Amino acid sequence: MSNDTAAYMRRVKKAAKILFYKRHRQPGVKGWELRKTLGKNYLSIIELLNRQLENLDFEVKIVYETGEKPEDPTNEQLKQARFYVTLKKPLSKSELVLSGWRVDDVAALTVAIAYIISKQGKAPRKEVEEILREKFPKWRVDYNLNRFQRRGYLNQDDSGILYLNWRARAEIDQQTLLKLILAEKT
Amino acid sequence: MEGKSQGKVKGSRIKRKKITDRERLLRIISLCLSVEYKSGDPFKVEVRNILDSLRRYLPHWKILEDFTLDAEALNSIASIISLQGNWIINRSTSLYVDPLLIELHIKMIDTEKLVNIFSKSWHPIVEMEGLSKKRVEEAVDYWNQLIPLDERRLKLPTPSAALNSTSLQELLKMKIMSNESFNDTLYTFWQKLRETVSDRKKISYWSFIVSDTYDETIYRAYLTSFLVTYGYAHMEVNRIEEEIFLIPYENPKKNVFTEQTISIPIAIDRNLWKSKRESDSR
Repeated sequence: MSNDTAAYMRRVKKAAKILFYKRHRQPGVKGWELRKTLGKNYLSIIELLNRQLENLDFEVKIVYETGEKPEDPTNEQLKQARFYVTLKKPLSKSELVLSGWRVDDVAALTVAIAYIISKQGKAPRKEVEEILREKFPKWRVDYNLNRFQRRGYLNQDDSGILYLNWRARAEIDQQTLLKLILAEKT
Repeated sequence: MEGKSQGKVKGSRIKRKKITDRERLLRIISLCLSVEYKSGDPFKVEVRNILDSLRRYLPHWKILEDFTLDAEALNSIASIISLQGNWIINRSTSLYVDPLLIELHIKMIDTEKLVNIFSKSWHPIVEMEGLSKKRVEEAVDYWNQLIPLDERRLKLPTPSAALNSTSLQELLKMKIMSNESFNDTLYTFWQKLRETVSDRKKISYWSFIVSDTYDETIYRAYLTSFLVTYGYAHMEVNRIEEEIFLIPYENPKKNVFTEQTISIPIAIDRNLWKSKRESDSR
């Protein structure tokens, strides 16, 4: 192995260490932190890591501050973006149940997120509660909406408006979610 | 008399008209806010008509309150125009679906199917939590030094001597007060850091603060924290190698408090000081 390759591999390992191990309250690492640790060409290191992770069905996902991926991200946008390692392929239903989520809680999360996406990313909590209360008791709706906020899926402002939060943006393929909901025969 | 009463009637009409116009302004503001917060259709707000009305009302405004409301209404209209822009962008993306259609579908789909849909669009974040050997050692040290709760709860002993006030000379002797101002002390310390670093550009945090006595080390760490906070030096933290460096600035940075900053807590106990001192002397 040449010296260059060895140095690159060392940096790939370093990148894996930073991305996998949770060091802050929130998982993931900001672009500027990666640049500081891995150097200017941190994106090539991440690309190399991505190739290694591909075999294990993991991938490095970049979530931009605006929520949507810019067509040609600038250095500044990349520095402010958050990098996560996520599962590349979705979980099977049985794996999802094993992840510790109750089936009805997952359904509530799906409904809340789909409703908020359809309302352009924000909806009054009352409206989300109303729709959930058609199938779940009030106490469970309150408990779940608060829990989704604690986990980082949703965020609520002072005026009672719910938004999608960092975890929803990182973990949920919004387009697939809406497509599947619309494709489902009712 | 008649003229006066006619004037009064006219005055009250103007007043009433003003109140009505003001009410209209309030209605405009409330309409814009409700569209903004309830994610309603921003195109339902007739921006052009409202702007025409605002232009018509403007010459009538005399008092500050009216002008403030006018400005607020204009600001709300600006938000609506911005929302209209976002609305068009959103509708032109593939993510746009009629909210009613989604609402209808999610109401009809049963729980099991919703879970299935979620599992197909969910890519959970992989995160691991771990402790380094160093952290475990620190934790053990902390545990060993921690005084049992019962002992900590013991009352403080009552003072044996009578309480007296302390003179300025005594405070100076105890190093609680100083003749030199804090800024001067900090400036001198910064010069020391620059001299120590000289051509090397940066210096290890520990080699700079560790001194012959524990008290002096704490004092140097205390001053260093102010050097970093007040923009006299930069602290570089290498989390992977667990190393900290100090880089003095040529000139103190201005506007340090307007930038986003982070706090880096560094615990220094006697054992750590001893070990750092030993490694330094080696």
